[in-house]
Amino acid sequence: MTYPVHLVELIEEFQEVEDQMERLEMVFEMADEVLVLAVDVWSDETRILGCQSEAHVLVTLDDGKVLMSGGADAQLVQGLMGILSIAINGAAPAQALLLSPDFATEMGILNSLSPGRSNGFRNMFDKVMLEIRRLEA
Amino acid sequence: MALRDDFPILQRTVHGHPLVYLDNAATTQKPQVVIDAMSEYYSRSNANVHRAVHTLAGEATDGYEGCRTRLKTWFNAERAILTSGTTEAINLVAHAWGRANLTKDDAIVLTEMEHHSDIVPWQMLAEERGVEIRYVPVLDDFTLDMEVFEASLVGAKLVCVVHTSNVLGVRNPLERIIESAHAAGAKVLIDAAQGAPHVRIDFDAFGADFMAFSAHKMCGPTGIGALLVRPEAFQEMQPFMGGGDMIETVTTEGSTYQENEHKFEAGTPRIAEAIGWDAAFGWMESLDLEKEHKRMLEIARYTAKELRGMGMTVYGRHADGDSAVVSFLHPKLHSEDMAHLLDAVGYAVRTGHHCAQPLLHRLGISSTVRASYYFYNTMEEAEQFIAQLKIILERFA
Repeated sequence: MTYPVHLVELIEEFQEVEDQMERLEMVFEMADEVLVLAVDVWSDETRILGCQSEAHVLVTLDDGKVLMSGGADAQLVQGLMGILSIAINGAAPAQALLLSPDFATEMGILNSLSPGRSNGFRNMFDKVMLEIRRLEA
Repeated sequence: MALRDDFPILQRTVHGHPLVYLDNAATTQKPQVVIDAMSEYYSRSNANVHRAVHTLAGEATDGYEGCRTRLKTWFNAERAILTSGTTEAINLVAHAWGRANLTKDDAIVLTEMEHHSDIVPWQMLAEERGVEIRYVPVLDDFTLDMEVFEASLVGAKLVCVVHTSNVLGVRNPLERIIESAHAAGAKVLIDAAQGAPHVRIDFDAFGADFMAFSAHKMCGPTGIGALLVRPEAFQEMQPFMGGGDMIETVTTEGSTYQENEHKFEAGTPRIAEAIGWDAAFGWMESLDLEKEHKRMLEIARYTAKELRGMGMTVYGRHADGDSAVVSFLHPKLHSEDMAHLLDAVGYAVRTGHHCAQPLLHRLGISSTVRASYYFYNTMEEAEQFIAQLKIILERFA
């Protein structure tokens, strides 16, 4: 999978860290990268189902480019949203849809992306991609 | 030799740290004897059970039926049906007994403390048959409202109650529940998924009509469990799944069924798993269960006390007889975050609703972090767990 340059840099940055706790701390810090979706806008439409935490995303198009905003009560989920935002915000929908969720495992922050697992990141990724497909249609 | 040396998995590391396994209410680890028994079966005796006359089939049958014999002895039960686990055992009662004996306007009494596997089958039956479901509430001290329970028995045909809560660790007053239910003419099903692994239960003396539990929560393999049934209730059960092994004769006009437990075990059963479970019982027989249970409860009490001291809310009371489960929440750090951070240093805990959403709804929460102890856990692990949590809170909360 070929990733956008800024995502590749981020993956490398994570891979350089050997300590898992430090890696998770970096994800925590990525929570600030999310364009915040205000809690009063959270609704059933924005909710990420199957997520242990209360997590919401909204995907819109800004001048034809993907713009994702979100929020979660779990810092790690919001941090993962931050990473996904870096990967797709500003990209054309068709380009954003090429992204595979495998980058999260390559970064060493998740040990399984099996769809059957209660996995906040996977559910969030799938919802964001679905929203982009809807916008593209 | 320490007890934990029997468990090869406890030697592994996770993210470079020694594994501290505290997710035993979800599933327990397996001693080497269980792994060896299953491997030996597949290496030497693999065959289908019951009818073939060759040597391997005889060995396989002896192994499979040996597990049933062990269950009957261990629990002092006359009938032991082997199932895929607690969930299938409860569903079997719903289909084999419930459909034959419950009609419109009959009532089933459940509690807010039940695992989903002791709620959903009854909701499905209620929808199909027009049966009423009554729920016994959980009080603020995490016990059942026994006044409501007694009142809910009027017209009830079945009471389904969890032996020990998988979230709270609370052991319910089962003797009183069984006595009252029987006095009211209701049968009783005990979900002992969390109870059977911790204490020796004499099913006959206990008096319940049905009891369901799983092997994998008591050092046995996944994919197998049992339903113990009193003889009178057994006679009231109709076959549920049809197929091989459960019949006496089959003609194009119809079939007749076996009279024993095989009537409810259609198809090729879980042979290797039964042999593994039998080995697990053999391993557990060397333990003083009562002493071990008290030791685990002390570890749980220590954990709960320390967690409260750190500002956590602990859901449970850890009274005598309760299980060594500690469910808790931090006021700021999300349960999922905490579990990921603990995993990063080798601690396996569970988060989420623990398949008990009505209970969590009653508690006004959507998830907890749950640490649950078993025989191979030590007080040192609990102390390290608390120390690690302090480090995590200092850094992330």
